[in-house]
Amino acid sequence: MAVVILAVALSNSGISQASDVGNCLLCHKYPGLSRVDEKGKFRLFYVNENVFMNSIHAKVTCEGCHTGIKKVPHDPVQKVDCLKECHIIEPSSEQKFSHKEVATFLSKSVHAKLDENRKPKKYSEDMPYCLDCHDNPLYRPLSFFKRVRPGISEMALGRCRVCHKKDEFIFRFYNHVTTRLHPIRSPRNIAEMCGRCHDDPKIVARHNLASKAVYSYGETFHGKAANFLDERIPDCLDCHVNRGKSVHQMLSYKDPLSITYKTHKSSICTNIDCHPQATPKLANYKVHMELDAEHSPREYYFKIFFISLTGGTLLPLMGIMFLDLFRRLFPNIRITRKK
Amino acid sequence: METHKIIKVKKGKKYFFRSTANQRIQHIILAICVIVLVLTGMPLKFHDAAWAPSLYSLFGGIKVAPIIHKTFGCILISLFIYHLIYLAYSIYVGQIAPLRKKKELRTGKLLKLLVTQPLMPNLKDLKDIIQLFRYLLFLTTQKPQGDEFTWKNKFDYWAPFWGIPVLGISGLIMWNKEFATRFLPGEIINFALIAHSDEALLAALFLFIWHWYNVHFKTSVFPMGTVFMTGYLSEKLMVEDHYDYYVKIMKQAGLEHEILPPQGSPGHEPVPKKKGYEGSETTPGDDNSQMHEPMGGGPSA
Repeated sequence: MAVVILAVALSNSGISQASDVGNCLLCHKYPGLSRVDEKGKFRLFYVNENVFMNSIHAKVTCEGCHTGIKKVPHDPVQKVDCLKECHIIEPSSEQKFSHKEVATFLSKSVHAKLDENRKPKKYSEDMPYCLDCHDNPLYRPLSFFKRVRPGISEMALGRCRVCHKKDEFIFRFYNHVTTRLHPIRSPRNIAEMCGRCHDDPKIVARHNLASKAVYSYGETFHGKAANFLDERIPDCLDCHVNRGKSVHQMLSYKDPLSITYKTHKSSICTNIDCHPQATPKLANYKVHMELDAEHSPREYYFKIFFISLTGGTLLPLMGIMFLDLFRRLFPNIRITRKK
Repeated sequence: METHKIIKVKKGKKYFFRSTANQRIQHIILAICVIVLVLTGMPLKFHDAAWAPSLYSLFGGIKVAPIIHKTFGCILISLFIYHLIYLAYSIYVGQIAPLRKKKELRTGKLLKLLVTQPLMPNLKDLKDIIQLFRYLLFLTTQKPQGDEFTWKNKFDYWAPFWGIPVLGISGLIMWNKEFATRFLPGEIINFALIAHSDEALLAALFLFIWHWYNVHFKTSVFPMGTVFMTGYLSEKLMVEDHYDYYVKIMKQAGLEHEILPPQGSPGHEPVPKKKGYEGSETTPGDDNSQMHEPMGGGPSA
């Protein structure tokens, strides 16, 4: 039986098996592969081969991340350590690739778990770990070849094939490069990702944050356009990350080096790609406005005025309308005595 | 100046003049603008609602819908400015200029002329509202006997005088935020957004519920009123909503014997001719019709 399964598994192997040298898909290709772990949590171990092969980690072997597997069937595996060196050689340095530098960036950012004295921050457990923000995103290739619709350009591929012979390599390289020429996530996805923490009332309260940041962003035109899948609208990272830096180097608005620091804030809006005609006063627009009497009293009472106007106008009119309809439907009711 | 028959008779039924072609075109442009602006604006206000993306995509989604919204916003602002000019011109040519010609124009007279314009709120409106409540609460069978423009017409007319400037100015601030914040603080955009969004909702609810109920959906008009297209109101609706004015113009047309009783009155006999009535200005040879030169005004019911 095992031989038959092995034979079937091997017969299915094609280009997608490139990163599956351990033949993990022999078992993990089955959609029902799952169990309830020791903590009672349902775990699904199914790997959709097509999805995985279109993800940015498609060339990393399973064992590259899931270390410690020495036999099949294997024991419970260790948690993935994203900072581990994997088998990929980074071509510019010819060193084994690792995300360690990201951890260095992160340790100096607003999201660091340790403070400047290398002591754990208060509620450091709330600070994000790689997987809190990153899943295994799919490639989002771009096409610049005369047309701008997204996806792989067949016309561009024709040029690649002049020198490169293997289509698998060409597709992967095309995806690898063009996916990085624009954000891998849409503004809406990014806002949703940040909102997992920044809209969590407990986290907002624990860290004494000024507002539910993503909710308030969602009430601006930027947020609404992001919600309607506008790819060009500014998201959280466009304003909160210093130009030319990585998101992992994001600084607090209290840090004088941060672009969101009060004296630098105007340069976010007046950026040449955004509102170059604007004066610094535009940056006084409250993007993250908490509409309550405590935080924004003027705006709050302005809103109350409009709510009162709406209610004060419509409720009496609706009342008249309802009574009018009732009077028309029951014209013969008499309350007063007939004279 | 456009002239119109004040009463038209078609297939034996009387129809009463309400608005000129110019006014009807203004009203239709206003209606189209409001509908398009609501359809392209509300999906943004209620961006989390399930219906919002589909409705927005009907107008081209986030790339095209804002352009449509701004275009129709500009048309609406232009219409409002045009209407102000039209109104001022109509009052001047129709009423102020003749006074000047006769050298009778005084400040007091001018003020009186302005406050007694047909669409200006007056004491009769208050009396009609009180009478309406008495009628709606079954305390009387007599409906208020409205004048040429009832308090509802005036409410509908003056509401855009508040709404369009609020929406127009706030919309222009948000659209031209770079220019606006050269002179105004950045927080003005927060205020503009609140005003634009909330006033738009008020206007939309007011128009699509209250106004449409009164002109299209109430049982005597349902399923649709036609006065916004024809400019003439049927006798039945004139009696229902504008009885005082109806009696006045029927008498002016010499049709006292054909005046119908007000709604809720016991009989249907014509009201007797009042003593001392001076007769009508009926145009000879024109079956029961009279020439009427309308004054500038907004959309009528």
